[in-house]
Amino acid sequence: MRLAWRNLSYDRLRFAVTVAGVAFAVFLMVFQGSLLAGFVRVSSSVIDATDADLWITARGVPCFDFPAPLPSRFRELSMNVTGVNSVERIAAGITSWQKPSGVWQTIIIVGADPGVGSAFPLPYLNGKTDLVFPETVLVDRSNLDALGLTTMPADVEIGRRRARVAGTVSGFGSFIGSPYIFTGYNDAVRYLDFGPEETTFLLVRVAPGSNVHVVQQHLQARLPEADIWTRAEFARRARLYWVIKTGAGGALLTAALLGSVVGAVIVSQTIYATTMEGLEEFATLKAMGASRWYIRRVVLTQALVSSVIGCAIGLAVTFPSVKVVQGSIPWVYTPWWLPAGMILVSLLMCSLASTVSIRKAIRVEPGRVFRA
Amino acid sequence: MRESLLAAENVTVTYGSGSSAVQALDSVSLTFDVGRLTLVMGPSGSGKTTLLSVLGCLLTPDSGALFIQDRPVTDLSENERGEIRKQFIGYVFQAFRLFRSLTALENILVALEISGCRGRQAREVAREVLAAVGMADKWLLKPNELSGGEKQRVAIARAIVNDPPIILADEPTASLDSSSGVQIAEMLLKLAEDEKRLVLVVSHDSRWLPFCHRTIEMRDGRIV
Repeated sequence: MRLAWRNLSYDRLRFAVTVAGVAFAVFLMVFQGSLLAGFVRVSSSVIDATDADLWITARGVPCFDFPAPLPSRFRELSMNVTGVNSVERIAAGITSWQKPSGVWQTIIIVGADPGVGSAFPLPYLNGKTDLVFPETVLVDRSNLDALGLTTMPADVEIGRRRARVAGTVSGFGSFIGSPYIFTGYNDAVRYLDFGPEETTFLLVRVAPGSNVHVVQQHLQARLPEADIWTRAEFARRARLYWVIKTGAGGALLTAALLGSVVGAVIVSQTIYATTMEGLEEFATLKAMGASRWYIRRVVLTQALVSSVIGCAIGLAVTFPSVKVVQGSIPWVYTPWWLPAGMILVSLLMCSLASTVSIRKAIRVEPGRVFRA
Repeated sequence: MRESLLAAENVTVTYGSGSSAVQALDSVSLTFDVGRLTLVMGPSGSGKTTLLSVLGCLLTPDSGALFIQDRPVTDLSENERGEIRKQFIGYVFQAFRLFRSLTALENILVALEISGCRGRQAREVAREVLAAVGMADKWLLKPNELSGGEKQRVAIARAIVNDPPIILADEPTASLDSSSGVQIAEMLLKLAEDEKRLVLVVSHDSRWLPFCHRTIEMRDGRIV
């Protein structure tokens, strides 16, 4: 395939334009995909950090960020259901945070019993996971500026009550402008001014050997005024809520889809134009007796080489760009499969585009070679 | 009639349809033999290039038949016609039609590659044929580094590298100065006389007359 390689290196400007087109398309697709993937991930990050089998929520609660009051007696009722091993509590709600500068910031307080999950961020006492420091909170590293924190530990006021910021966590940056503040359950109840009969979420661990879905049905029968979700169901519900039912998620989803479509069109158009530019040479090849397969290989080689180099450059630009953007949008996230998927999409689009242009190339009338 | 290398019988080609139809070839019958250089002359629009396209298996006539070594080739599929072109015909074009990204040597190698000849043997054959057309020292140059005459020499080398018995040349000297034109004419004549090929040249340039064994005059799609 000497001709294919030489064509690429001969017309360097055209090659550069083709590669730039593919690179831009890959950048667009991966970047928009990272915004969407990060948004999806962060919309269920708190749910995913627990290791409970089932979540009990007030009826109709769409996600973790918009909880509704749940009677705390449901905990005792749940404990008596067959197959339930333990029930932990999470209190979550919006309250206010006073920065050291005196300025107020809206926050989401998340307080949980020890035992909701080892990955759940709580200010554990001396590293033990069964005791929580009182009046102590953790904040996400990405929210330090928003919370006005410059040193650690820091004394602040939450809901006009004292609290000490003991440390930071990562991966729990909020995307709705109100940072998550993590603390023990009892402190969260105080900060949120909950009454003794009030909680927001109950997390159920199923006894060893019990079927999660059977226990879920039993709980639903016992607590008809609540929703019972498996952890995966509630996480999916939260993601769908944010991505489908809110303007922000819808905009990101639309942008990601448009990015993919625009990227695919750019790749296709660029490859198609490159092939069309060489139509006279394909006519000459055909006049010389070149088989369809030979011409196909020339076109496909040119398309795939451009595509692979374009993908490599596109990704080389995308990863640092995502890092830079994470400074202002900390939840942007590029899962490993996204670049791989976009490379596949690009190669597929290049192949499809070249297939269309191959049809032109192999159908070119060989007699046109006699037209000067 | 069909005991020749190349023959056309009552070939008719019409471009367009209805009132705008133009008959480019009107019941043309011709035979061509090896070892002769035939010149097809005529004014613009007389059907010379259309005749060359039909004889080169590049254009299917509306009616009539084409024979190569007595084998009818008019109704063959495009793939089969490609095989015929590869095996029997070499083309020389007015605009050279060299691959601009390839060196002179690589242009020859492409023709060999299409015929399934690759590797060291292909390079040796390509160097030999370039030497035969006087381009031994310029095999590394690309078309844009060659003069018109040199480009046409490379094009001739590419046309003959697979040793086809038929060479079809469309205005091969039209883009060249008179000195280069004479050299190309002598080269094609040599291919006909010394190598016993069938060489068919289409041109409206009367300077070709001293080099040809036979002249065919065309007007309005007919042999005059």
